[in-house]
Amino acid sequence: MAVDVVAPSLERRIERLDRIWRERPGLLGWLTTVDHKRIGLLYFFTTLAFFAAGGIEALLIRTQLAGPNERVLGPETYNQLMTMHGVTMIFLFVIPMTTGAFGNYLVPLMIGARDMAFPRLNALSYWLFLGSGIFIYLGLFMHRGPNCGWFCYTPLNTRTYDPGPNVDFYALGLIFNGLATTAGALNFIVTIFKLRAPGMSLNRMPLFIFAMLAVSLSLIFALPSLTMDLVFLELQRKAGFHFFDVAHGGDPLLWQHLFWLFGHPEVYIIVLPAFGIATSIIPTFTQRKMIAFPLVALAELLVAFIGFGVWAHHMFATGLPTITLIAFAAASMMVVIPSTIQVFAWTFTVVLGRPEFRAPLLFIGGFIVFFVIGGLSGIMFAAIPFNQVTTDTYFVVAHFHFIIFGAAVFPILGGMYYWFPKVTGRLYHERAAQLSFWLTFLGTALTFFPMHIVGLLGMTRRVYAYSPHLGWDAYNLSETIGAFILTAGLLLIFGNLLWSRFRGTLSGPDPFFGGTLEWATSSPPPEYNFPVVPKVTSPYPNWDRADREEDARRLVAGTFVLDEGHETPASTVRDGYLDEVLSMPPESPWPVVVALCVALLFTSLLLSHVVVACVFGGLALLALAAWHTREPEES
Amino acid sequence: MSAEAARLDRGRIARPNGWWGIAVFVATEATLFGTIIGSYFFLRFQVPQWPPAGVPDPKVLVPLVLTAALVATSIPVQIAYSAARRDRLGVARLALLLALVVQAGYLGIQIRLFIGDLDKFSPNQSAYASIYFTLLGGHHFHVLIGILLEAWLLLRLITGLTRYRLVALQATVFYWHFVNLLAVAVVLTQVSPAL
Amino acid sequence: MSGDSVRRRRRRRRLVLPVTLLVPLLVAGCGDQNVLDPHSHAERRISKLWWVMMTGAWIGFGLVVVLLFLGWVRRNRSTLPFGGGERAATALVVGLGVAVPIVLLSGLFVWSDIFVIRATDAPRRGSTSLNVRVTGHQWYWEIKYPGTSAVTANELHIPIDTRVRVVGTTADVIHSLWVPELNRKVDVIPGRDNVMLLDADRPGTYPGQCAEFCGLQHAHMEIRVIAESNQRFRAWLAAEAAPAAANASRGAEVFMDEACSGCHQIRGTDARGQVGPDLTHFGSRTMIGAGVLPNDREHLLEWIRDPQHSKPGNRMPGLKLSDADLRALVAYLEGLK
Repeated sequence: MAVDVVAPSLERRIERLDRIWRERPGLLGWLTTVDHKRIGLLYFFTTLAFFAAGGIEALLIRTQLAGPNERVLGPETYNQLMTMHGVTMIFLFVIPMTTGAFGNYLVPLMIGARDMAFPRLNALSYWLFLGSGIFIYLGLFMHRGPNCGWFCYTPLNTRTYDPGPNVDFYALGLIFNGLATTAGALNFIVTIFKLRAPGMSLNRMPLFIFAMLAVSLSLIFALPSLTMDLVFLELQRKAGFHFFDVAHGGDPLLWQHLFWLFGHPEVYIIVLPAFGIATSIIPTFTQRKMIAFPLVALAELLVAFIGFGVWAHHMFATGLPTITLIAFAAASMMVVIPSTIQVFAWTFTVVLGRPEFRAPLLFIGGFIVFFVIGGLSGIMFAAIPFNQVTTDTYFVVAHFHFIIFGAAVFPILGGMYYWFPKVTGRLYHERAAQLSFWLTFLGTALTFFPMHIVGLLGMTRRVYAYSPHLGWDAYNLSETIGAFILTAGLLLIFGNLLWSRFRGTLSGPDPFFGGTLEWATSSPPPEYNFPVVPKVTSPYPNWDRADREEDARRLVAGTFVLDEGHETPASTVRDGYLDEVLSMPPESPWPVVVALCVALLFTSLLLSHVVVACVFGGLALLALAAWHTREPEES
Repeated sequence: MSAEAARLDRGRIARPNGWWGIAVFVATEATLFGTIIGSYFFLRFQVPQWPPAGVPDPKVLVPLVLTAALVATSIPVQIAYSAARRDRLGVARLALLLALVVQAGYLGIQIRLFIGDLDKFSPNQSAYASIYFTLLGGHHFHVLIGILLEAWLLLRLITGLTRYRLVALQATVFYWHFVNLLAVAVVLTQVSPAL
Repeated sequence: MSGDSVRRRRRRRRLVLPVTLLVPLLVAGCGDQNVLDPHSHAERRISKLWWVMMTGAWIGFGLVVVLLFLGWVRRNRSTLPFGGGERAATALVVGLGVAVPIVLLSGLFVWSDIFVIRATDAPRRGSTSLNVRVTGHQWYWEIKYPGTSAVTANELHIPIDTRVRVVGTTADVIHSLWVPELNRKVDVIPGRDNVMLLDADRPGTYPGQCAEFCGLQHAHMEIRVIAESNQRFRAWLAAEAAPAAANASRGAEVFMDEACSGCHQIRGTDARGQVGPDLTHFGSRTMIGAGVLPNDREHLLEWIRDPQHSKPGNRMPGLKLSDADLRALVAYLEGLK
């Protein structure tokens, strides 16, 4: 009897939640979406497209360098491709993929929330990102792409030595891109601080969330340095200001200091989310909690913090005073410690646990191997005399590719397999996935390991051709072969995912027995993520069966369902006590409109039409005003 | 509605999301200006003469007085927020309007001085002028944004106070405290060669 | 997923690593820009530093790989190999992740950044018997010997067993001067003089190239350091300082009449161009275009006919010369020894 009375009410609640949270169908729905999962998917596919672009650029570079004195590409084309490869991979792939795709999709789910703190701002950050990517690529398509290297040193970046619009695409495009990333970082910080499910105090946050918090804080404090550097550059190029030229009291090293003040934290920004993915996969596939959890969480925050103090190790060959070099070398040695803590924590978790080396954990195994290689060569760069020999050679190209490809992309690939069932509701094909790992692993090793050697043999960076008598030929050829093997591995991964999307076996909500909250809801999750606000008493809530049973009871009883409106709970920052129930905004067209105005503003600046740019700026502000007339409580 | 909004605001333990949002935004902007001011002093200590020959030393008194007037507007904006929290909307609107008038006056005078400076020395001539005008221009732009935020709020508050608008007011007030603090840092940098 | 096939694959993977460990050892001795084939005291110290760091790196790497392998082999057990559970593991994390690195890194720091750096650091003014001034250009190296009127390009002669103070700057963008077998690199930056030590212990030719991306032809900006006995060096310097011998050939006429003299200087003639490298004693140099072609008759003809073909984007235009004039010009340049 009691069941009959209760069951229809439960169905009605679910139906009500569905109705409240459902978004418009079709293209219009995608353009006006504020759902973090949809935005995460938009980011995912867009960053994949940029990954392909960056990959094609890499293959063209490797083809040109396969043999000595090749004439596949001329120097101008090569310089544009190598610059765009760096810019694309860093700004348009890795960071938007880890923060925009993985972060957006997973953060609210893992903290038991129904969306990000500022859903419309979330949409804006995606449209701004897309706009910035198109903006920069317009340059390349016109064969006027950025051609000064991804850190574009001065005076090479001035009108005197690079008169065309190439550097303007670079500078304005990256300022544009920085707006998107800053908006995203802001959103993550507020979401992580305020929207955690009641009971999730700061020390009960999953390690992925710690990583996202560290990344977001880093971005907030690092991006302004790059932004100002680029603003100075554009003022110098377009308005005749003088910041970097000696003749008028400027200093070329100002560019480098401001760039690397951003640039070094940037590399931790690149790896931190990957650490977060690794620390999500390891506990699941070893079925045990991470060893030394508090140390690992602290290490994630520390590496970001100490990373702000080491920037000048990118400038050891510039003639800085020896005492300065020594200070930065000391700091660079210190920043190693949080990483060694994490490496051993991960490894000992694998030793103590019961590892199942299915595809996700294989990729994490590959990640650990490559991160250690890249980290060890990184430590060598803290030895000043060695740094001064190998900087700007292929040795450093090897170092950062082991870190970026090995330590950031491998977790991304593993994470794609890991969360594929959650997003699509289907399992990927396991054997093909394992083969794809070995191909990718072998390809990566073969592409990047010889670069250490060829760098020690004197091959400098950014050369479009090299002479045959220096002993570099065989290594370069292996690297090119490796690149194609790597490409085959990647194609197999994406082929697997695509096939499995339509033909994979159904996975159910929790195929891998994960410990975090995203596994506590259906696959894919409903628009509202959780029908009832989850009860949290540990960092691995999905392993707390008692709490999950309590959730089921609450759903039946109708408590904590929050179906009066577009609602999600907000908690206190440190302890996660329930504080208020928030109203989330519905879909909105204004983020796209604002992003469009901003894109037109930057295009006007590129063409030096300042007045027109101001008009578009004004329009953007008007659109922002219109946006804020729709107050969530009213709906 | 306004009473409801005020009551809900007082019932919160933690600060609202909007406050955290503006706090993070302020952190970015503060870092941005930290970079500009850092660049100012980096360039300053590269050259023997600052300002360079032919460029007049910056005036000290007028900028300091103006900044004092701007910083003083922190009082009415804070009053506006406290009043709104206690559902005294009339007082809040009046205080905001007073602040707006003073801030607009400040901006107007600063723009006149800016243009006057441009007539005397140009950013095309020296790094000093380049960083000087960038620093001041950036600051004035932030003042303008603050004024626009306040104007928008005043408009919205005509139809009363909601939870959303109260948080917006709190955020705007925070932003203004930041701008005023920034004004102090900027003016001290601006007049530093003459000190 | 058969455990055997996975085990086999893991073993195969682990073989790849020892093999690649050997390769760096094979490398020492190959090529001319080989960091690990040192010919100076400074470079020897750096090379030794490398070998020690590399050994340490392989040990650290090996440890992690062994641990991962252990994890897989002992995947059905929840204890460490010598017994101990979570507490022991946490202690090991702190030990291996904090204590051991602090000790090793401190040692590395003191050795490399306090001691080795003394050998590689720039010599103070007045502490060497020879000073050379190098100026980077897009895309060649201008070399001067202060105290003499010698000016040359891309070839830097020094006497062996002599500490040479090289002062570098640039006329345009940032370049980087690097001779791998002799020392570290030093960036040359507008408005600054950056200093480097060169000190070769054996006669020979030590090539290097620009190591900071500087535009279209960054890849073709070689510098050659030629270390020779003091006697030969003095002779070379004297010859280099002297102006070109008087020459009234057809080739000299072509040089003056065509665009050549507008960009290039030949001391002793009216050619005073400062855009391209000094050609006063071009005939005795080994390279054309900072290493893009060897300096011999065939290549010189090729170069002058169409410089853009060999070094696209460089500042030298092709000249429309008759075949006879071209050959005369080449003969003249060859004679500038």
